[in-house]
Parts: sequence; C-alpha cells; structure tokens
Amino acid sequence: MIELLQNLIDGLGRGSIYALLALGVAVVFGVMHLLNFAHGELITISGYAAYAAGQQGWSWYIIAPLIVVCAVVASLVIERVAFSRVRGESDFTLLLTSFGVHFVVSAAFLLYVSASVKTYPRPGWVTNTYSVGPLNIEVFDTVVIVVTIVTLIATTMLLQRTMFGLALRAASADFDTARLMGVKSDSVIRGAFALSGLLAGIAGVFWLMRAGSTTPSAGIDPMLKGVLAALIGGLGSLRGAVLGGFALGLAEVLLRSRLPDSIASLTEGVIFVLIALLFIFRPQGLITVAHAERV
Amino acid sequence: MKLKTLIALFAIFTLLAAACGDDDGDDASVDADDMADDGDDMADDGDDMADDGDDMADDGNDMADDGDDMADDGDDMADEPHTDDSVDIAGILAADLDNCADAPSGDPIRVGMAMDFSDVVGFVDIPGSNLVPFVADLANCVGGINGRPVEVRVAEVGDDAALATEELLDWGAHFLIGPPFADFALPILQTTEGQVPLFVAASTEPTLADASINSYLVTFDDHQMSSAAANWALDQGITRAIVFTEGEGVPYTGVNPDAFAAAFIAGGGEVVSTQNYVWFVDTDFSAQVNEIAGISDNTEVVFSAALGYQVTALRGQLEGQGLDGLTYIGTDALDATGIQVEDNNEGIAHTPHTSISPGDPIDSLLAHYEAVNGEALESRGFMALYVDSMFLGIQAMLDCGCDEPAQIGEAVQQISGFQGLSGEITYAGTNGIPPKAVPINRIVNGEDVLVDTRS
Repeated sequence: MIELLQNLIDGLGRGSIYALLALGVAVVFGVMHLLNFAHGELITISGYAAYAAGQQGWSWYIIAPLIVVCAVVASLVIERVAFSRVRGESDFTLLLTSFGVHFVVSAAFLLYVSASVKTYPRPGWVTNTYSVGPLNIEVFDTVVIVVTIVTLIATTMLLQRTMFGLALRAASADFDTARLMGVKSDSVIRGAFALSGLLAGIAGVFWLMRAGSTTPSAGIDPMLKGVLAALIGGLGSLRGAVLGGFALGLAEVLLRSRLPDSIASLTEGVIFVLIALLFIFRPQGLITVAHAERV
Repeated sequence: MKLKTLIALFAIFTLLAAACGDDDGDDASVDADDMADDGDDMADDGDDMADDGDDMADDGNDMADDGDDMADDGDDMADEPHTDDSVDIAGILAADLDNCADAPSGDPIRVGMAMDFSDVVGFVDIPGSNLVPFVADLANCVGGINGRPVEVRVAEVGDDAALATEELLDWGAHFLIGPPFADFALPILQTTEGQVPLFVAASTEPTLADASINSYLVTFDDHQMSSAAANWALDQGITRAIVFTEGEGVPYTGVNPDAFAAAFIAGGGEVVSTQNYVWFVDTDFSAQVNEIAGISDNTEVVFSAALGYQVTALRGQLEGQGLDGLTYIGTDALDATGIQVEDNNEGIAHTPHTSISPGDPIDSLLAHYEAVNGEALESRGFMALYVDSMFLGIQAMLDCGCDEPAQIGEAVQQISGFQGLSGEITYAGTNGIPPKAVPINRIVNGEDVLVDTRS
C-alpha cells in the first residue's frame, strides 16, 4: 500500500510534465489543426541553452527562466519560418512540415554542435526527499506538481478571462467564423505558438533539470509523450490534454512497478497496447471534442 | 521575370557544381591527400607544431614511466624493432608535419571508412573519421608505408550503409572501418559478401565478429567487459548486485547485464534485484528506486550499461532514499557519455577501451591532432580503436604482401601480438574477437583513474 502511494506520487510528478507538454500540443492543434511533431525541438533548443549556460557556471535561478524564454522564442521563430508558409494548406502538409522542422533542428545541432551527449550540472535539490509518515517524497515531484497546478490555473484564467483567450477559444471552435467575427488570424496563431512555447518551456525546465544532459535527438521523447498524452485526452481538448498527461505518467510508473520482472521490459509496449484499446472503445480519446479532426 | 532569374541562377550553379565536382565521390568523402594539403597549410602557420612533434617524441620516450598496463603496451610498441613487414606506429606518430619526407609515390593503400554520423554513434564515428585521415597524413609525412601513400575515404552511411559501402568498394578500398552497431555493420557485410575485411572499430557486440566473413572487433566484447566488471566487484568484497537491463538478450543493454549477472553468480555473488529501464531515455527512476529501497542493505553493486547521465541520475535518486553505500559500475558507454565530467560521479567505476594517462601514445596523438586542427576530439577513450583499425589492415597487407581484399582478410586472421595504441591485439585462433585486457577505471577525487586491468 505504501509503495502504491509512493508510485501514485511519482506518477503524478511525471504526469505533470507530460500534461504541460500535451497542453502545448493541444493549444496549437486547436487553432491550426496541426499535430506539431516539432514540439519536442523546443526542449532540444532549450537543452542546448541550458548546456551553454551551465558551461558558464550560471545558476539554475538564471537557467530556468532562460529555458522558458528560449522555448517561447524558438516556438515563434519556427512558426514564422516554417508554419506561416504553409498556413491554410492541408493537415497532411502541416504534419510533414512539422516533421521537417524536427529533422532540421536535430540535424543542425548534430552538425554544428556535436553528436555527443552534452551534460550540465543539475540543481542539488532535484534528488532530495522528505518524509511524510512512511512515505519518502521527492522534493522535485512536489515542485513539479505545484508548478503544474499553478500553470494550469494561470492558463485557464488566460483562456477564460482575457480577449486573447476568447479569440483563441473562438479560433479553436471555428477558425473561419472567428476570422469573420474580427479575430486577427496572425495574432491568434502567434499567440497560440507563444503559449505553446511557454508551456513547453516550463515543462522543459523540469525535464532538463532531471535529465542533466541533452543530445540532438533529446526532443523526441518529450514530443512523443506530449503527442501521446494529447491523443489520449482527446486531440483538441485542453482539459483532455491535461488528463491524458496525468494518465500517461501514472500508467508508466504503475506498470513499471507492478509488472512482473520477467515482462517489465515490455512496459512501453503494454502502454501502447492500452492506448490502442482506448482508441478501439473511445476513438475520440478521453474527452470528446466535436470540432477536432484526428490526424 | 523573378522566377526566370531564379531558374537561370539555379542552372548556372548546377553547371558550376558539375564542373567543379569530384567524379568519384560525393561531398561526404574526404581524401587523405586533401587532408594532407590542409595539414601542410596549417603547419605553415607557426612553429608550435614542430615543438609539439618533439614533445610527442619525448612523451613516447617517457611512456615506460607510467607504470600501468596500457602505457606498457604503448612502450612495447615504441620499442618494437621496425622492419619492412611491420607498421612503424611509433615512427608514424612522431611525424613532424613541418618537415615531411618526400611524398610517397607507390600504389596507394586505400582505407575505406563507412561511418555513421547520426547521433546514434556519431559521438565516436565523427571524431574517429577525423582522426584516421590525420594519422594517414602522418604516415605519408614519413614517406608512407614502404613508399606507398595511405589514402582514406570517409563515406557517411546515412540511411543506406550498402550504398556507402559500394562507393568505397568502387573506389578500391583494401579494407573497411565500420560503425559499431549491427544496423549498419550488417548491410556493410552483405555488400562486401564477406570478401573485404571490416573492422567494427568501436563495437563490443559479439555477434558482429565473424572471421569467416571478415568481420572483426578491435576491442573486447560485451562478455569480456561485463565479466571483468563482475569479477572486480567480487574482489571488492561485494556479494550482492542490483542489475539494470533493457531485457534479456537485448544487444548491448541486455547482453552486458546478462554477462555481468552470470559472472557475478558464478563467482559466488547474488543478484538481489533486476530492474528494467529505457536506455538513453530514462532519467526518472522513481519506480525502480522505490522497489530497491525495500530490498537493499546498502552494500550492493549497481551494474548497468546505462549512459553517464542516467547513472548519475539513478545514483542521485537512490542516495535521496538514503542508499549512499552502493557501488556503481558501468560499461564503455560511461566513457562515451561524459562520466568524467558529470556531477555526483565520485567512486563510479567503468570499463573504458583505453585508460589514457598523460604521455601515452594516444594522448600524445590526440594532443598533436588538437594542435594541428585547433579543436580537441571527443570520445577520447575510443579513438585508439579507430587508429588501430587502420594499422591492423595495413599490417595485414604487409604480412601477405598483397592488395587483394580477400587475401588481406586471410592475413588479418593470422595477426598475433599486434601492439596497437589500444593494447595487444590477436586474431589468430579467434573468431574475430581479440582477447584484450579490460581496464577498470574509477572516479577518484574527481579524477578518472585506472584502478585495475582484467584479462
């Protein structure tokens, strides 16, 4: 029972990061119908920024905001350089463009930085724990969960109580009608990419803090987790993305801990089987979004 | 109008590219002759490199003082009397690019490198494919090999290793140096049909070695490496082990833990926990750590083939649970992924291919490369394997006095007691896996030092 509780806390910590990643994917999908496979590259770019800052001996109090700023700027640059050129094209074109961005960013770091793993110091408190009764809880998990909750509340307020949020939600519901009603497409799309970058940046801080390293392909895993979580939750649904992130994190930790040793290496495979089963019974994901299109 | 201008410009550039291009190869190819020219140009920049060359020669004389086995190997190499039928490695490495002998004019010895520059193994293949042409320059600087120049061509395998191999074979490569993983090495072997010697320089994958199809490891295999780690742990008085694996029989990430566990149990130890993880990816080991916390008595050895940042992340989480008495040992992957520069690495042991001490021939060579090219090579512990691959192929050519790849392969199979930069290499009587000593390194007071060598 204690171990189960421990696993639940670990799963929530992991799921929090996935939720932030999935939310970033869902925000962009909502306005552009773009399943952004380049989302993980925001973490790759931020990872190299963290590495460069680490080389200079900078503190994580500086590195963390730097990561967020890098992710936002990178997201806007990618939108400007790549996605704005294919705006209005078919979903398939957008999808291929996102793959293209992923490969170009990855190859650029490979060619112009290094194929080797680049490491930087993690903050010392990342592995600290504290006890609550019989439970040993990681400080890191606690911080991640708290920051995620605050971020989700702030995002909800942004979407519900600001003109930008209203425009974004309107564009997500029906982009063409929103434009006819006076919503500026450029602004709302750039705003969506900036918000997506911000969420990726916050997730990236924790992802990179835990990893302590980066490589040219460092973005693949966060991208997969973010896209998977968004799919599980119901593509296009912001609430679903958060739910999907937590579900994926909990499933990973619980399966790895609970599966018999002889098949524990199949954890990832079992998760994909579960996702496949989910889509058989609920093709729309956990939360139904009437206007979303599945890619 | 604009479009027409663009089309015209494109056509002009295409014609120019066609006119200036090399008929033989693509952009990824590097000829050693070109590299030699570059080296000479750079050599003209100052006197520093001449001094470096002298320093290197001095370093070579000092090697015997180092005391460890690897340095002894290097010393043997330097003392080895040079004859026309043995590669004068010490002489080549001492070459002064400022004062080269007359350029060799015989038929070239052609070394083909089919390399993977992706982030899968680019961390070793990229620096390896920079260093080998440099060593070819040094060889040519001292008059080549018996008057024959050494040419190196690098072909990036991309997603088509067979095509890269065909390019090298069409060029006339006498033997090949290949990437470490089966994904690329196997298509290369299918393309050569086993008729051209292939040295899979940085690989420890036992299934890639097969002398009958001319495929050779240049270093110890997974079984030797992890058995050495297990026996070293037992000798430290540790009798309980926690093993991290990607699954039984999985190449490298499963085979190494399998071999470690087998040797550890055979030596009287007990594997108290086997944990799964995802290589390259996992840095959150919460689930595994919770389980280990319930069974550990804080004295175990933790073994994995994980990467440097994974081991230090795991260690941090285990220590966070109060498990600060564990001993960590890993494979050559730790050497490739910067365990030397990781935080929280004190006491971690690993099995590099070459334990480099200041003044070793490979250390001097890498310093020479840096002085000439202005940048240091990464994955230093692997570099000797690439250089040895080239020298092994050349040695086989000298032994058989032949240029036919199949005959060269037969000569490779007879090589015995070859003194390379990475230690002694013997293929005679093996299936292509040289029985080499395994260095055990450990981070002591922040320094990565050799603590043992296991045969």
